[in-house]
Amino acid sequence: MSTDTPRTDTLRTDDPRARDPRTDPGHDRRDEPAWLLVTRREVVSRITDKSFLLGTAFMVVLIAGFIGFNAWQEERTDSVTLAATPDSAAMATAIEDAAPEVDDNVAVTVLEVDDRAAAEAALRDDEADGWLHPTDDGWQLTSESSEQGSLTDVVRAVVQQQVLTDNAAEVGTTVDALQAGSTVTTDFLRGDAERAGVAEAVGFVFVFLFYFAALVFGMQLASSVIEEKQSRIVEIIAAAIPVRHLLAGKVLGNTALAVIQLLVYLVVGLVGLSFTSYKSYVPALSGPTAWFIAFFLAGFIALACLWAVAGSLASRTEDLQATSTPLTMLMLVMFFGGLSLDGRGQVIASFVPPVSAVVMPKRILAGGVEWWEPLLALGLLAAFAAVTVWVGERLYRRALLQTGGRVSLRQAWSAAE
Amino acid sequence: MLEIKELTRRFGENTAVDHVSFEVPAGLMTGFVGGNGAGKTTTMRMVMGVLGIDEGEVLWQGRPITRLDRRRIGYMPEERGLYPKQPILDQLVYIAQLKGMDRVGARAQVTELLERFGLGERTKDHLEKLSLGNQQRVQIIASVLPRPAALVLDEPFSGLDPRAVDSMVDLLREYTRDGVPVLFSSHQLDLVERLCDRLVVLSQGRRVAAGTVAELRDAGVPRFRLVLGGDAGWVRDLRGLEVLDLEGASALVEVQEAGAEQHLVAEATRRGDVHEFVRVRPALSEIYREATA
Repeated sequence: MSTDTPRTDTLRTDDPRARDPRTDPGHDRRDEPAWLLVTRREVVSRITDKSFLLGTAFMVVLIAGFIGFNAWQEERTDSVTLAATPDSAAMATAIEDAAPEVDDNVAVTVLEVDDRAAAEAALRDDEADGWLHPTDDGWQLTSESSEQGSLTDVVRAVVQQQVLTDNAAEVGTTVDALQAGSTVTTDFLRGDAERAGVAEAVGFVFVFLFYFAALVFGMQLASSVIEEKQSRIVEIIAAAIPVRHLLAGKVLGNTALAVIQLLVYLVVGLVGLSFTSYKSYVPALSGPTAWFIAFFLAGFIALACLWAVAGSLASRTEDLQATSTPLTMLMLVMFFGGLSLDGRGQVIASFVPPVSAVVMPKRILAGGVEWWEPLLALGLLAAFAAVTVWVGERLYRRALLQTGGRVSLRQAWSAAE
Repeated sequence: MLEIKELTRRFGENTAVDHVSFEVPAGLMTGFVGGNGAGKTTTMRMVMGVLGIDEGEVLWQGRPITRLDRRRIGYMPEERGLYPKQPILDQLVYIAQLKGMDRVGARAQVTELLERFGLGERTKDHLEKLSLGNQQRVQIIASVLPRPAALVLDEPFSGLDPRAVDSMVDLLREYTRDGVPVLFSSHQLDLVERLCDRLVVLSQGRRVAAGTVAELRDAGVPRFRLVLGGDAGWVRDLRGLEVLDLEGASALVEVQEAGAEQHLVAEATRRGDVHEFVRVRPALSEIYREATA
């Protein structure tokens, strides 16, 4: 051993070839750890994939379109024409005047016609949307064949008010006097009705987005594991880096992609919402949305490892259907559990991983959650993720190099490496 | 030098590799032959650390091999395939980086190799767009990244067209000239005989023969062919020889007592003309058949 090369255990000094500049092509001078290289390949190969980009763009258009359509629907004034025969002209005019008070999206125009035949002709020719006329015991709104929802509501409200007023006058009193003390108003200890509605809708969106992303990216992860296993490139990789790094890189890469895609959807959704009459809710939604992202992250990592295992148990793409069935079942349980659970069941589920990943954000949305509850649920979910990472790593590592057909969980668990 | 010592691997009841030992000396090509299920692939996977070792060890330059060492060993698994939907340059650079090269160095070396194999114009093509022969060339490049300290190749020639075989052979010879030890398995005995300096024969998980081709051919009981001017029938009466074949003036004998062949030559020259006296060495295929029988 020469004096200028102190003996260490590194490759570069042990192997004389490594010190030779002609034969040393730059080993171990790389600055990135192996898992980061894998992560980068996963992300780059996916975001340069046309079908992925098109899928994301399509989804963005869908979200923007859905919100835009609803906003348009909401802003739009429904103009309806009400045909009135001489016996109903007075009432129709009253309706025309009162319509904006009942529903500010409905504008009523009165079309005066001579008789029943003319009214029916107007309906048939689409000149009028409805014809109001008195009957023996009240009033009737006739339309061609479909119910005129907004018109009916307006007519019903105005006619009732008008008739009540007349009836009250006949017996020498007023409507207000008759109705005194009869109002029932609603009040929530937490929030209000509209807020509850918004929470319900956004909660659905959260559950759906989680389900969608976990399934799409999970499947993608599993099939990329099979791709490597089937082509045996995994042997080249396993000879170069620890399999643990490969798994970590794949899980992190797909998690990053899923979270980025989710953020895009959420931003499009929230920005879109701010153009609608629900814009006042946007600030209130950002807190729960941030929680949702945190829960998504922990939940997705937990599931991603299991998806990788599902991929490693299969030897061919055709096997994936079978090896991933337990997972797709779990996804469905999470989806329907997230949507349908309420009351005590919901409270319990909001702490049980992995279902808590969708249930707790829903509870946060609805409000009335103690500050420690999301933290506890997130902690439990993270602990669950840690367990699946550990179990998943063991199964993945052992199943990955077994290429003779499908590998059972038991085989994978007990197999020697 | 790569040393395999008493390597053993069991799958349940079945011992796939049973205390196999051999060496892959620097600068030499070592052929690894044996029938299907003989344990070649399992041995190579253990050498590469892809499969766990039940018993025995692998030494590199005289000490137990580490992951860092393995990263510098070029490896070609038995079944081929890379990423079908990724440009070839990108995936080769990725593999080189996994093996410890920095990005710039990896790019330079991959580009150089792609050009050498006539793929310089197609660096951006997806692997699946290439012809099968070109896909194999890419596979070869993947196995020699980065400039390897040793090569472990499982059936590197299977499925290659003759031109690809030649470029592969040239490449391997270049590496052995630089002192790189090369271990490759093959079913094609003619190729093994043409290429290999040394040979390891495996049968049912055990090493049944090892050595240079010449050593192996010399290893058996020596046989000689004798062609005389006259009838060779008298050869039968000599001691210490077994006559395997006798036809007129020609005889094929196997030496059973050392030195008996010298008596044979002396006796032959005493009796008359000797046209031919030559050591007969069995063909590699014959040795292989005998060893694995």
